[in-house]
Amino acid sequence: MSLAPVVRDDFSAPFFEALAEGRLLLRYSLSSGEWSEPAARFCSLTQADDLEWREASGRGALVSWTVKPGRPVDDRPAADAVIGVVETEEGPWLTLLLPDADVALLRVGAPVEVAFVQPEGSEHLPVGVLRS
Amino acid sequence: MSAAIVGLGMTEMGKVFGRTATDFAVEAIGRAAADAGLGLADIDGLYVNPGVKNDTDLRLQSTLQMRNTRLLATIQGFGSSAGQMVQYAALAIEAGMADVVACVYADAPLKEGKRAGASYPGQARAMEGVGSLPFAAGLKAAPERYAVAARRHMEAYGTTSEQLGAVAVAARQWAAMNPAAQMREPITLEDHQSSRMIADPLRLLDCCLVSNGAVAIIVTSAERAATLKQPPVHVWGWGQGHPGYVNRRGSEFGLVTGAAQSGADALKMAGVGVDEIGVRELYDCFTYTTLVTLEDYGFCAKGEGGEFVASGAIAPGGSHPTNTGGGELSSYYMWGMTPLSEAVIQARGQGGERQVPDHDLVMVSGNGGVLDFHSTLILSPHRKTR
Repeated sequence: MSLAPVVRDDFSAPFFEALAEGRLLLRYSLSSGEWSEPAARFCSLTQADDLEWREASGRGALVSWTVKPGRPVDDRPAADAVIGVVETEEGPWLTLLLPDADVALLRVGAPVEVAFVQPEGSEHLPVGVLRS
Repeated sequence: MSAAIVGLGMTEMGKVFGRTATDFAVEAIGRAAADAGLGLADIDGLYVNPGVKNDTDLRLQSTLQMRNTRLLATIQGFGSSAGQMVQYAALAIEAGMADVVACVYADAPLKEGKRAGASYPGQARAMEGVGSLPFAAGLKAAPERYAVAARRHMEAYGTTSEQLGAVAVAARQWAAMNPAAQMREPITLEDHQSSRMIADPLRLLDCCLVSNGAVAIIVTSAERAATLKQPPVHVWGWGQGHPGYVNRRGSEFGLVTGAAQSGADALKMAGVGVDEIGVRELYDCFTYTTLVTLEDYGFCAKGEGGEFVASGAIAPGGSHPTNTGGGELSSYYMWGMTPLSEAVIQARGQGGERQVPDHDLVMVSGNGGVLDFHSTLILSPHRKTR
């Protein structure tokens, strides 16, 4: 299963610009010193409105996941899709497709690194790579 | 607070084609009024909860030729709407804004010749901006989103797929005794375990039905209720809890839901302890939802929901009869009207072969979004005495 295409809007332009350069940005509050998820307009801890984009490490750990069985098309088998919720080192959670993930490695706390792919007709998008 | 539910109207539900949500709503309201021994002209308040297809609305008022409407609104709290409508109806009646309030849910997502899964394609959101990243990654429809929640519960507390299966089997056992249920053929735990995987860990038999139809109820004052046709179902307490999960470290998503706040508030308002509840009608979009709600309401300890349901506690003959009509898993999927309609039937003592003997207090949940919105009602055939 592949990623669905996503296009930028004004708010997300810096985020997607950075993804294209292989960098992950999250939202950072100057007043609280806390990080929030990319979609956040307010600090997810203090509701402060002083968020700015800041580069994150791109490393995290698995919180939860699901495996969606692939739907065969024209008798061609389709691979299962592993989708994980990843807690970044900075704190925010990201929902990431984990392409070609070994389901035997799925466990809470499993290390995940963010990688970057560009589906057809889409901005670059983050995906997760499980590290054993 | 002294409001009571005095009328219940249900249409035929399930794969019923060729009728719109408004058609269903009109029929359900008429049935509810007749059930109460009232006419449409007696209704002076109307709350409309359109389902996911959002194709009925306030124009129901004119469709019904209502001329003395003093209260009219669309209520949208998704799966928590039914409980919310009762709460706002009770408040409006108490405030003198209306005397007889009809609350209706109606939806017709199923189309003839199309799979149930196609009813909720989930592609409505524009794929623009960072908000669409979870969707782009594959979390598109309810099953996979609830799967992530269920998986977290399993990893934290050791909850198993077999324990989720026990919820499905119990629901079907109850449904077998409900003439209105869509799915009445018995199922076994083996059937559950061999059913198709939808989104691991949720299998087909962990998922609710999809139904066309409508359910309406009529709410009035306890005083007026005493003069009407049906045994009144008094509203003793209520609550809401909308946890506002943030996607960050420390989130309780999957572990604790809005039911914890909502249930505690409802019990406090009713002045009853959770041990006094005789019947539980819980929103069961998935088996996991039943299990986590039982925990959050306090029927068992946090993390012990799996063992609790596997013990047979919620099944017919068990210590904690739950979803006695078969729930959304096996009877019909009318959002929060599924648990609420069965709660009214049980509180009245009209459950027939599935009637729970101890029905003095019935606890009802509604859950919407992905555990984002929650409402609770505590109902009783007796006027509130404490």
